[in-house]
Amino acid sequence: MVMLKIAFRNIFRQKRRTLLTALSMFGGFVLAAFFIGWSDGTYSNIINLFTSSQTGHIQVHHKDYLDRPSLYKTVDQLPRIAEQLAAIEGVKSWAPRLYSAGLASVGEKTAGVRIIGIDPAREIRTTDFHKKVYLGAVVDRDAENQALLGKGLAKLLNAGLGDDVVIVSQGADGSIANEKYTVVGLLDSGDEMNDRSAFYLPLKAAQELLVLEGRVHELAITATDPDRVAHVNARLEEALKGLDKNLATEPWQVFARSFYVAMKADKEGMYIMLVVILLVVAVGVLNTVLMSVLERRREYGVLRAVGTRPGRIIKMVLLEVNILGIFCVMAGTVAGLFINYLASVYGYTLPEPITYGGMHFQTMLAEINARSFYIPAVTVMVTATLVSIFPAFKAAHTDPARSMKLY
Amino acid sequence: MKHMLKALALVLVLLFVLPYLVPAQQNKPMQDAEIRELLKKMDQLYRSDSSYAQVEMAITTPYWQRTLKMDFWSLGMKQTFIRILSPKKERGMATLRMDNEMWNFLPNTNKTMKIPPSMMMGSWMGSDFTNDDLVKEYTFLEDYTFQLIDVPQPEAGVLYIKCTPRPDLPIVWGWVVMAVRQKDKMPLHYDYFDEKGKLMRQMIYKEETVFSGRTIPAVMELVPANKTGYKTVVRYLKATFDTDIDKTIFSLRNLRTNM
Amino acid sequence: MLFYIKLAWRNIFRNKRRTIIAGTAIGIGLASLIFTGAMMKGMETNMMQAATASFLGEGQVHGVGFRETQAVETVVTYADDVMAKLRMEPLVDKVTARTLSMAMITAPSGVNGVLLVGVNPETEKDLSQMDDTIQKGVYFEGHNGRDIILGSKLAEILELGLGDRVVVTVAQAHSGDLSQEMFRVSGIFHFNLKEMDSGFAFIRISKAQQMLGLGNAVHQVAFRFKQIKNSIDPALPLWKSYSVKGNEAVSWMEILPQMKAVADMNSMSVIMLVVILGAVVTFGIINTLFMSLYERMFEFAVLRAVGTRAGGLRKLILFEAGALAVVSIGIGLILGFILTAIFVKVGIDYRGLEFAGTTIKDMIYPEMELWQFIVFPIGVFFFTMVVGIYPAWVAGRLNVADALRKSL
Repeated sequence: MVMLKIAFRNIFRQKRRTLLTALSMFGGFVLAAFFIGWSDGTYSNIINLFTSSQTGHIQVHHKDYLDRPSLYKTVDQLPRIAEQLAAIEGVKSWAPRLYSAGLASVGEKTAGVRIIGIDPAREIRTTDFHKKVYLGAVVDRDAENQALLGKGLAKLLNAGLGDDVVIVSQGADGSIANEKYTVVGLLDSGDEMNDRSAFYLPLKAAQELLVLEGRVHELAITATDPDRVAHVNARLEEALKGLDKNLATEPWQVFARSFYVAMKADKEGMYIMLVVILLVVAVGVLNTVLMSVLERRREYGVLRAVGTRPGRIIKMVLLEVNILGIFCVMAGTVAGLFINYLASVYGYTLPEPITYGGMHFQTMLAEINARSFYIPAVTVMVTATLVSIFPAFKAAHTDPARSMKLY
Repeated sequence: MKHMLKALALVLVLLFVLPYLVPAQQNKPMQDAEIRELLKKMDQLYRSDSSYAQVEMAITTPYWQRTLKMDFWSLGMKQTFIRILSPKKERGMATLRMDNEMWNFLPNTNKTMKIPPSMMMGSWMGSDFTNDDLVKEYTFLEDYTFQLIDVPQPEAGVLYIKCTPRPDLPIVWGWVVMAVRQKDKMPLHYDYFDEKGKLMRQMIYKEETVFSGRTIPAVMELVPANKTGYKTVVRYLKATFDTDIDKTIFSLRNLRTNM
Repeated sequence: MLFYIKLAWRNIFRNKRRTIIAGTAIGIGLASLIFTGAMMKGMETNMMQAATASFLGEGQVHGVGFRETQAVETVVTYADDVMAKLRMEPLVDKVTARTLSMAMITAPSGVNGVLLVGVNPETEKDLSQMDDTIQKGVYFEGHNGRDIILGSKLAEILELGLGDRVVVTVAQAHSGDLSQEMFRVSGIFHFNLKEMDSGFAFIRISKAQQMLGLGNAVHQVAFRFKQIKNSIDPALPLWKSYSVKGNEAVSWMEILPQMKAVADMNSMSVIMLVVILGAVVTFGIINTLFMSLYERMFEFAVLRAVGTRAGGLRKLILFEAGALAVVSIGIGLILGFILTAIFVKVGIDYRGLEFAGTTIKDMIYPEMELWQFIVFPIGVFFFTMVVGIYPAWVAGRLNVADALRKSL
């Protein structure tokens, strides 16, 4: 098409002008893409930090457990559930937990505790459990008498590594559960309240103590892609329905609602910021496109004078702007991908690490996702097009003589 | 004239004397003092200055059933010692309560554990009794106001006394209705209501037996009315009252004795 | 010198359209920077308030060891002194005292463990949102020491309604004796947070002190600053000066380290954001300036042709950049102020979060601070000048004859 050829030639004719216009489109695009990748990355970081530090992205319980916890509301049939979990892609790893209340006594001191039975290997894989243990080691899976104490609990009981702790609780068969364990490690999860009463045992030992063989209260599951948690949760729900009608699975947005609400509020704030950035980008594009179109009034005047119809002039302008826009968007995507990739791998290292629950967080990473590209792309293209319509229209319909007299 | 006066006098005399000539009714209304005596008896039924009992407690929940057999000593209101005899898993466990302190001994781990006061309000050994029930601080006589009442479907020969806790006392019930057999003043059942009149639990007394010269119901059944599937039945196998009890029983040393 | 400045001014106003477009573009950029700065501050404050306003308070004073052990005997030493002094602190806004103890609540239907908080209703109102979240009944009216307020979830579990009777049991300080008292439910609150709604019960502090055998002692003095930013300043001398004589004063950050982690991450994001925005604005400046200057190469050539020296021309261009900067800053300041002021009044609405309840203020108010109106404009001016250097330099090296050739 002749129009296309002309448009292309026009673009390359005035290199400087083209370059400047392109710069604002390209620069704006890349920066917007970077911002989105960055802020999305930050949120994912925060969410990951919390969910993987203890709770996981998805949790499975007996359907009434969260509302009114009870020793008897258990998740059974673990082997079959494990099968199902392995079959769902999107599940990264999972860890089972058993909970009960009891009394712990070391020497003369007694305190109420929360007994937590864990599968050490799975817990390490799912929540980086070993990073929270600041003294000693994680309990051994097959150990019958090893225990891990929360920091606050250890202080309350005046207990240290190697000390004996006696536990009294009530088993699921009503009998008095009573055992002695040795402290092999101390734990700091970052949650003071948790650590004041947390008493970890290997799952098997806990199940024996509480007469709950083969049963647990909770499955904490991490997803490979935190953004697809809802999807994985839905699939899990399907799979579990067939197994046991009493099970319920919830994503972190449900079981950690207060955290979710706080994050959501923050994210809303970020949306506003995004709007602001896009606005500024749009204005930048507007500015340059407008000026370049306006500056070429004389050109258009000449074109009109030699007989070009106004419609064609408008088309030409729009074509130029859009070609330039597309080119910038493509170049911007390449550059943006590159920058975001670097940022997602290397990130920005904070001057001081943020610590939470044994997790040391020092590098902020960006995220690569689709919306960091299509949002800026749409903004740039739409703005450029919209902005050029009016001046193009004006230029196309002004009397050629007048247009040419502008200099 | 004299005739008429005489007739009037007779009528008057009859009016006053007649009630007393009528034979005594079946249900003679009880005087306040008699009710007080009754309540005192109820309060003291299982109490004494010292006691020893061997008791079987059968606990039923929707999830499990257990029967514990234990020896139980008490001295005054503040000292109790309990040693569990069966089942095998709990055999040898003991609880000592002295004034406001409570200890558990666990033979399995050879551990004497002092119970923090906050733990003492919970249910005892998973039963429907709380420590409060076991160490009754409040008496019906002193801490409640009472009156005889009629109930919609009374059982024959049974008195019903409604006891309302005095205001501001830390008692959670709205009122308690005691059903007592009139003939021998034996308790039949206590019904506990909340302030809105909803029945919350029932304590049922059965099988009167003579222990050490005292006639008491050997079986107490505690049934919560607001949840299904729960019941605790306490059965006295042996009991002696007000005999000399070795005071060294109430000691940590005794607690730690492995059977 | 003055001559060039005057000339520069006149020049930029000669082509009004171009100047206004350019000025507005840069001005909008500046306005957005100002607004962003204010928004970020507002969001930060909002998040901190969310963490602290529902109950925690921004700072707390305890007896040493209380945070770890929660022992009934560990009280705030010289509490009256501490409170009086705190009230006089210029930075502190509100102060209240509380007792905290584990307790059992018995109702006819069952027993439940709870954190019993003894509060002074008047001063407590200033520090917690409990009075705003009362669902049934009232928040402490009158003087009845037997009033108790509990959470909606707890009321549900124990089947309690207003006016119902409960017995509260606590262990007394020092002796460990059990102390029991009867209370009547006078209010039920609903924070929409499981932890608060099921785990907390409030009574009057005098009653609590009596039950716990504490005399006049308290476990916690909670306070709030006039400006929440003081609560996150660890260098504030206040923390040290109240951590004496057996007490320790901590900010909410130490009590809720997870919130602190989030707050830290947020500040990093903010800085990033400002940098990005700044880059976007700089791009705008570059484009605008280059565009407007390159278009006028003919003009500059004429100037050179009539004898203006290269240096003079450079100066002129630089000053024009400066003048444009000034115009842009003017526009930007006005726009920025108006925009921010509107939102300061109106707030930004989160009504979409229908379950936010009262724990998160559903409006965010940007905070206007002077630095926003000084730092950013200076930045814009500086960048504009810097960016103007290149075209100025190019103009100076202009090949006059070439440039004079009019081109299409």
